[in-house]
Amino acid sequence: MFITFAFVTLLGALGMLLQKNVIVAGLCMVATFFGVAGLFLLLANPVAAALQIIVYSGAIMVLVLFVIMMLNSHEEEAAQTARPVQRWVSVALVAALAFGAVKLVLTSAGLRAMAVSGEPMPGAMTLQKVGTTLFAEHLLGFEVAGILLLAAMVGAVALTKRDL
Amino acid sequence: MTGMDAILSGGLQGYLVVALLLFAIGLATVLLRRTLLMQFMGVELMLNAANVALLAFARFRGGDAQATVFYLFIIAVAACEAAIGLALVIGLYRHRGTTDSDRAAGLKQ
Repeated sequence: MFITFAFVTLLGALGMLLQKNVIVAGLCMVATFFGVAGLFLLLANPVAAALQIIVYSGAIMVLVLFVIMMLNSHEEEAAQTARPVQRWVSVALVAALAFGAVKLVLTSAGLRAMAVSGEPMPGAMTLQKVGTTLFAEHLLGFEVAGILLLAAMVGAVALTKRDL
Repeated sequence: MTGMDAILSGGLQGYLVVALLLFAIGLATVLLRRTLLMQFMGVELMLNAANVALLAFARFRGGDAQATVFYLFIIAVAACEAAIGLALVIGLYRHRGTTDSDRAAGLKQ
């Protein structure tokens, strides 16, 4: 199961990186988000999986696809100046970063010990546990998140409106 | 459990490798694609990679609810970022008629 979801996630992401058509790239990204939601399910966290599907695959991707269609920018515009050196340097940099980090993770003794003797989980995450923790310990954070969402909403309207 | 087994059976290291590769692909998208919308999607991908690592660590350290609450806050901030970022792209398109980040190197007309 883990391998399946990991492949869906990474293939979706790769498809997004390589796809020329922006709409198809966005749909590849939806596949990635579903793969990540599957990984969350395997991590015994159905709450996070549901949130991932509702917020990312639902809300954010619909927003992005609407904007792509509104701006009619399905295809990437032709490059103003070709920058071969910068592109190859960034590819090499990203590859080196990924390779080094993966090697570090795989050879880390501490992580391996944690994976073997990781503390047993009492049970899958439930909405009740999350809700209790959220409102008992993070009430202020919850209110601040609400104000932040309101501010972002007003800001988005103010930015897109032609003459306020 | 050796390294390769841990990856294949979905141990902590497997999740971390997936998160790292996801982050690398997101970073490559931001660096290599010129369309602002594609770069925005790359940023979302990197954010998701961080979420995978966060919840994987939470699971293997006993499954505390704090991590899920934190994830909730991250999602709220990501939604704000999406709204504002896309509004800025639309604003740029209004002024310049382009969504290419190279053509928007200077913001003054």
